[in-house]
Amino acid sequence: MSTRDLVLTALFAAIIVALGLLPPISLGFIPVPITAQSLGVMMAGVVLGARRGAIAVLIVLVLVAIGLPVLSGGRGGLAIFASPTAGFLIGWIFAAFVTGYLSERLVNHQQSGLVQTVSFFLTAMAGGIVVLYAFGITYLATVAGLGFTKAFVGSMAFIPGDVIKAFVAALLGRAVMVGYPLLPSRA
Amino acid sequence: MQSLYVEGNSVMHRLSPRLKLLSLTIFGVVLFVSGNLILLSITVLLTAVLYRMVGLPFADGLRRLRPVFLTIAVVALFNLIFNPWQEALVPLLRLSALMLLAATVTATTSITEFIDEVTALARPLERTGWVQADDIGLALGLVLRFVPEIVGRYQAIREAHKARGLKVRPTTLLAPLIILTLKDADNIAAAIDARGIRRHVS
Repeated sequence: MSTRDLVLTALFAAIIVALGLLPPISLGFIPVPITAQSLGVMMAGVVLGARRGAIAVLIVLVLVAIGLPVLSGGRGGLAIFASPTAGFLIGWIFAAFVTGYLSERLVNHQQSGLVQTVSFFLTAMAGGIVVLYAFGITYLATVAGLGFTKAFVGSMAFIPGDVIKAFVAALLGRAVMVGYPLLPSRA
Repeated sequence: MQSLYVEGNSVMHRLSPRLKLLSLTIFGVVLFVSGNLILLSITVLLTAVLYRMVGLPFADGLRRLRPVFLTIAVVALFNLIFNPWQEALVPLLRLSALMLLAATVTATTSITEFIDEVTALARPLERTGWVQADDIGLALGLVLRFVPEIVGRYQAIREAHKARGLKVRPTTLLAPLIILTLKDADNIAAAIDARGIRRHVS
């Protein structure tokens, strides 16, 4: 890994941590505030690509594990991984990776802005929702003894918020693609 | 950023970090093998006592555990609706015990000790070429150094938006924040290389 890639992943990890410190962002057109850290995970994929995006998220989780309160609401420490929803945290790494992997392959500069945005939206959905929930629900079903169906039903409540986040991540992915493209020089 | 480490000299403080992490792992596995309610209750009590010995004031100790415990309790309640109470109680006790021991390890191990441990853990991976163990400390340090910077920059961008009468929206705020922050990467990387901090990179 080049020094530049190391710095990029660290800076993005810092952005994800900072998103947890900021007051929740309200979207304007929807009354629901967005807690931005899981948005940060999708953004890591669309902005940095598979490898760097996954490492940025991994760095955040290492910070959590070593006892820094870097998750939203000042949460941190190893105890977080004892929560029944810890599967979603572990899933972050794979969510960022899959989002990034698909972005690297689906999106390029020749496409129009609309195609780029739609592609980013689909990759963020695939990584940030399909992959993330696969990990989260499986863990919840096993560790909490809920069983797969109930864990699935219980998690559905969070899907609408995540679809909005995928949409925001897509707009941001496109904006960064125009302003400071990093995806083509994938690590 | 204030770490969750608590200064002190309890038994847990004096144990080696490696031993603590290893015990926590083994404890986690053993917990999930046993389904005996009495045994699990005793374990919760013992881990609670251990957590008390860390030396945190009672209210602080509780406040730290609240978010995690809330999730555990909500899932247990959800479980209770569909399953007999024994089946809802087992995961509640298991996860509570695990949470208490994990919180104890976090409170009694300093960030430096943790980073040394993570670095030592990554050392054997160096041969695969995936990671340079020394880079881990560097990356973690960089994150902590830049979080306040990014928060400050976010506020500056928000002020600039307000001053121009623009609506403050995440899409208009986050894009400049990310682009400005990532544009720093080249300068920071150049500074790191100029100082020869990563000696393994020629």
